[in-house]
Amino acid sequence: MSTLDYLFQGFGTALIWYNILFAFVGVLIGTAVGVLPGIGPMSGVALLIPVTASITGGLPPENAATSAIILLAGVYYGAMYGGSTTSILLNTPGESSSVVTTLDGYQMAKKGRAGSALSISAIGSFVAGIITLVALIALAKPLSTVALKFGPAEYFSLMLLGLGAVSGLAGKSVTKALIMTVFGLLLGTIGIDNVSGIARFTFNVPWLYQGIEFLTIAVGLFAVGEVFKTILEKEEEDTEIAKINNLLPSKAELKESAGPIARGSILGFFVGILPGAGATLASFFSYILEKKISKTPSKFGTGTIAGVAAPESANNAASGGAMIPLLTLGIPGSGTTAILMGALMMYNVQPGPLLFEDHPQVAWGLIASMFIGNIMLLILNLPLVKVFAKIIQTPKQFLIPMIIAISIFGVYAVQVSTYDLLLLLGCGLLGYFLSKNDYPIAPLVLGLVLGPMVENNLRRALTISNGDFSVFFTRPISLVFLIITFLWLLIPFMMKRRGKDVIINIEG
Amino acid sequence: MVLKFDYIASALFLAVGVLFIIGSKNLESSSYGSAVGPDIFPFILGSALVLLSIRLFYETFITKNQQGTKEKLQYKPFLIIFAATLIYILTLETIGYVITTFLFLFVCFQTMERSKVIQSLIISACFSGLVYFLYVEVLKGTLPDWPIWF
Repeated sequence: MSTLDYLFQGFGTALIWYNILFAFVGVLIGTAVGVLPGIGPMSGVALLIPVTASITGGLPPENAATSAIILLAGVYYGAMYGGSTTSILLNTPGESSSVVTTLDGYQMAKKGRAGSALSISAIGSFVAGIITLVALIALAKPLSTVALKFGPAEYFSLMLLGLGAVSGLAGKSVTKALIMTVFGLLLGTIGIDNVSGIARFTFNVPWLYQGIEFLTIAVGLFAVGEVFKTILEKEEEDTEIAKINNLLPSKAELKESAGPIARGSILGFFVGILPGAGATLASFFSYILEKKISKTPSKFGTGTIAGVAAPESANNAASGGAMIPLLTLGIPGSGTTAILMGALMMYNVQPGPLLFEDHPQVAWGLIASMFIGNIMLLILNLPLVKVFAKIIQTPKQFLIPMIIAISIFGVYAVQVSTYDLLLLLGCGLLGYFLSKNDYPIAPLVLGLVLGPMVENNLRRALTISNGDFSVFFTRPISLVFLIITFLWLLIPFMMKRRGKDVIINIEG
Repeated sequence: MVLKFDYIASALFLAVGVLFIIGSKNLESSSYGSAVGPDIFPFILGSALVLLSIRLFYETFITKNQQGTKEKLQYKPFLIIFAATLIYILTLETIGYVITTFLFLFVCFQTMERSKVIQSLIISACFSGLVYFLYVEVLKGTLPDWPIWF
């Protein structure tokens, strides 16, 4: 079957009534998550995994996986739309990938052009979403065909590259990021070893036999940790929302932003594919690029439409681009995609080159639903932006305890164990202290998700080579991956040593 | 503050690394005659963690003592909410979901801000009731429902 046939089948899946509903709920919650400062896409997706798991419980496994991933991916790219709203109206970014948008977006709002800024960012996000989807469809097949030729040694090196790239770009200190990665990988080894069947590091505690559940860790570190931070560092903020008048941008504004949107989309897409980079970096880069090539760079920062259009397209494109390594190679390049991958694995669907052959319904259903979701977001965001802006005013008094309650309900619904709830609370504390002291959390979750696969491939490669480690260096593709990993970790380090500022990725 | 935490963290990670190395050495080696058993991966990782935590200690040591701006932390509400969460978790299975969730939410709402008592009561009742109804009645899930002595 050709790609187009698969795509049509995907639309068949995505257009089932409940999948449309799932996509709608996903993008709706995603927009809300994007608007609310404090809940990023990572904690949003993590919080919703158990909820979707219980809702989809009645469906056959493959359909359940498709519906769940449609909803969760909707939260992910929906958050990219929502993040711009608060940046423009309040000068507080809803999530880190919208930080750049505040520079020009808030200035525009101050000049009474909030409406056009919002609509341009919605249109830009939409265009970027569609462009990346087309690229995703075009690249998915060839990439997974290439990846199918990889042996365990290549896979091991590729995963090392993914982990190294995320660690190299996350947070202020590479050492701390690497520690978190290794710690995540180590946590992943707890439980019954699935090759030899030996229980490792369980101390004969039955609860540990099945391993440490990634869901508990992710929800605890991200959602609960974030909540603790909000409680501890309570700040009184005066929410003064800029007025929104005339929502539609003028023709001149549309014309002015067409170029930035196109460039932002393409740049964002490629940054998104790279592991470790992500929406935040993509928006930074595209803003810098626009400023460089602009005829009037001095206008940036004073409320020019290009300064809103470019980063907003770029962060959306990056979130689509990040789906490519996840779906075709099975390697998540960021914290959020790692959580999405964990969700797929909970349904026994293994992302990777075989995904398109073994579970075409899941893969193509997701891709098709992203088309539908993007259209929904455009419709939702243009007229309803005022409603979403109201969400910011949700009193923290009620929001914060409810997030804890949802976390506890979610983890208990899936795990049915008090131990997991205690672990959740512990992870919340840990998450607060770690992120407060610049230990990035995303690499830990990534390590936990990828751990078992890294180990399996390492052991398979070593078994084939009879314990000879040189196999990773003699196979050319594997060697290339290892060299890239090495450079990726070394170059930021060298640049820092020379006193240069390295842009780091705060978001996952 | 930050520096102190980094010292403790590096010591803790060092300990974790060492423990994993010792633990992996105590694992039985592979049963099927392969040269690579279940111990090799944790052993490599444990060693990496040890090296990295030494590096972290060194990095912390050479960094000049920077005093960051100290923020005022809201310890009191945090401790109350933390304790409430802990009690909630521990009593969930004996007292049941609806009652514990209601009490937990009400206490936390009032800890966050001592106002809107009636609204807090309504929201916590609605949340616990609605979640229980949707999950147990509609989706046929399992939650500890009512106190076990009922």
